[in-house]
Amino acid sequence: MVLHEQLHEMNPAMKFLVVVVSMLTLAWFFNPWTPALFFVGVVLFQFVCSLINWKLWLLLMIPFVITAFGYLWTTVLFAAEAGGTVIWTWKQFEVTDAQWTRALSLAFRVIAFSSISLLFALTTKPVTFVISLMQQFRLSPKLAYGIMVGYQFLPVVKEEFIQIRHAHRLRGVGVEKWWWQRIYGMRRLLIPLLAAAVRKAERAAFAMEARAFTGKPRTTFFKPVPVRIHDWILVFIFVMLLVISGLSGVLFMNN
Amino acid sequence: MGKLKEKNAPIRTSIVMKLDNVTFRFPEDDKPILQDVSFVIHQGERVVITGQSGSGKSTLLYLINRLYPANCDGILSGEITLWDRQHEDYLPGEVNARIATVFQDPDAQFCMPTVEEEMAFTLENLNVPGIEMEKRITEALEATELTHLRHTVIQTLSGGMKQRVATACAVLMQPEVLLLDEPLSHLDPFTAREYVTWLDELQTKYGWTVVAVEHRLDHWGDFFNRRLQFVGGFVEHSDAVVVPPIVFNKRKSTLTTETVFEAQGISVEVNGKSLLEDVSFKLKSGEIAVLAGPNGSGKSTLFKAICGILPLAKGCIETGRTYPGYVPQSPEHLFVTQRVEDEVLFSKEAVPELVGDMMRRLRLDDIADSHPFAISHGQKRRTAIAAMLTEKRPVLLLDEPTSGQDEAALHELHRLVHTRAAEGLAVLIVTHDMSFAASVADTVFLLKEGQLTGQFLAEDVWQNESLLLAHSLLPPSGGILYGTS
Repeated sequence: MVLHEQLHEMNPAMKFLVVVVSMLTLAWFFNPWTPALFFVGVVLFQFVCSLINWKLWLLLMIPFVITAFGYLWTTVLFAAEAGGTVIWTWKQFEVTDAQWTRALSLAFRVIAFSSISLLFALTTKPVTFVISLMQQFRLSPKLAYGIMVGYQFLPVVKEEFIQIRHAHRLRGVGVEKWWWQRIYGMRRLLIPLLAAAVRKAERAAFAMEARAFTGKPRTTFFKPVPVRIHDWILVFIFVMLLVISGLSGVLFMNN
Repeated sequence: MGKLKEKNAPIRTSIVMKLDNVTFRFPEDDKPILQDVSFVIHQGERVVITGQSGSGKSTLLYLINRLYPANCDGILSGEITLWDRQHEDYLPGEVNARIATVFQDPDAQFCMPTVEEEMAFTLENLNVPGIEMEKRITEALEATELTHLRHTVIQTLSGGMKQRVATACAVLMQPEVLLLDEPLSHLDPFTAREYVTWLDELQTKYGWTVVAVEHRLDHWGDFFNRRLQFVGGFVEHSDAVVVPPIVFNKRKSTLTTETVFEAQGISVEVNGKSLLEDVSFKLKSGEIAVLAGPNGSGKSTLFKAICGILPLAKGCIETGRTYPGYVPQSPEHLFVTQRVEDEVLFSKEAVPELVGDMMRRLRLDDIADSHPFAISHGQKRRTAIAAMLTEKRPVLLLDEPTSGQDEAALHELHRLVHTRAAEGLAVLIVTHDMSFAASVADTVFLLKEGQLTGQFLAEDVWQNESLLLAHSLLPPSGGILYGTS
């Protein structure tokens, strides 16, 4: 199997588990090094083992970077006294090294969390993910296929939304001068959209039941989503990344 | 309320289903929707159940495939026997493995993205072993001639193709009975006829028992060999499966010479894609015109362009004081208030003096206080028309008002449109229903791929079968034009 496809081919349920475990583990580290190293590791990993669209990745990272920066300066300026030596003064503000470390650790934590979430989001197909959850973690088929139908309905609802907005425009709704008037006018779209959604949902449920769907756990799968040796290797790499970044973070801090 | 009883016809094949004095009531209703329904269906029969909207046809179908009574807490009495066992003795899902159903709405009967995944979903429900699935999917796709669509995303298919995919999923289940719930109602006439031919071959091959619910049999030809009819409390079992076409009164034209609307060379582009190109036409006061063409030819776009919803890329529109009024296929899309009367009064342009009269003429005065979403489809359309007309709009555009309507509703629509035209309005109607069009239209516009093929006199266009066929239309069923005037 090609190296560049590894992350895309990875069992989605396992990948999800790894992401959740990584996040929970990272939350225990309050030094800036661990999340920073983890972030670098995730990006490198993604660079070697995936074929994601890096332009899209950059675009999606922008809001997270802004959030991280926000955490950084608000923590630096307004956080509770943490002690330590003053490393920087400006007017009445004094920044101690302890404060600075804590701020950096929070900022990098945001970046690390978002990078691992993006890794998951950009390398996983939603349908395979849901099917895999059903097979590996015994997610109830009722819930799983419910999610899937909802996912299929998104374009239909969008189309309906456009139709209703067009019709409303004819009545002079949604063409008001100011944006807040238009936003307020949106409430009129809710009833027709919900009415249509409820109707469609009932029909879809009937169609599923008419095809002998009972919601019972299934015994056979057309395309089993297996857990293979590759998946364990990838899990191992993630765990190593966690251990290394965790240990070196603690070591750096103690020196 | 539906009553249905029939004499037993001596047929040699085994009995597939038997209904004995079935009475069914929804918990929220006072009266039962089905009353003392009894009939027998034999192996291999093709039976159609007809009746007006709301007569309980679909309810009956849902009782047969066991979606009811469990899903609506309905109250059922009488006996339904499927093969040799009582209806209620079957486990959940057990009946559905033997009785497959194709529903009406092509957009709401799939839950997976691609055709193959959808088919796999069906087989997984039936606990078919993994190795056999591949074989059955390939076979079903070959039998239905849909192999080329195997990896296609269902949402990208046309309505007709979606119905075929739904049928293919039924084929896949290797059922003994196929139930059809108005499967043609969202298809254009040509596509509908193609579907029927295709289904005919499949039925001959597999020998299913077919039970369909349908309010119009125009496109079915001689597909069925028995008909059960719901007539309010009346018992009918008819062997005449080719129903005489609906006879509309041929209206007397109210066409005048005064031009109230003119479009000159209009083009529309949405997201850089050209949807309409250089369309020009005129409408006169009192004229009823029909706009027809295949699905996706730009009919709705044209409507939205000439009533000012979509911007014009080129061309201009002359339409007097206000834009034409537009009633979408789902009239409730227009509704923005909680009361019918408020709805009619809503617009700033509305002329309050007109409202009382308008409400009376469109028979809305009785339901003035009702919620616009809680009234019948016909009432919704009349409310929408009233809302448009109080703004003194000179032209009325009706988008697919005939779709999914039964005979009574069509007659009402016919009267409604004629009365508006007699009042001096120009009416432009999009419809696939050429029988209706033939009875009502002065002029016919044919649209194809965003271009107007031409303007035709209504009397001429029906003779020209090849022209109609090129626009996915079928000539009106015979006899229609000889109604009284």
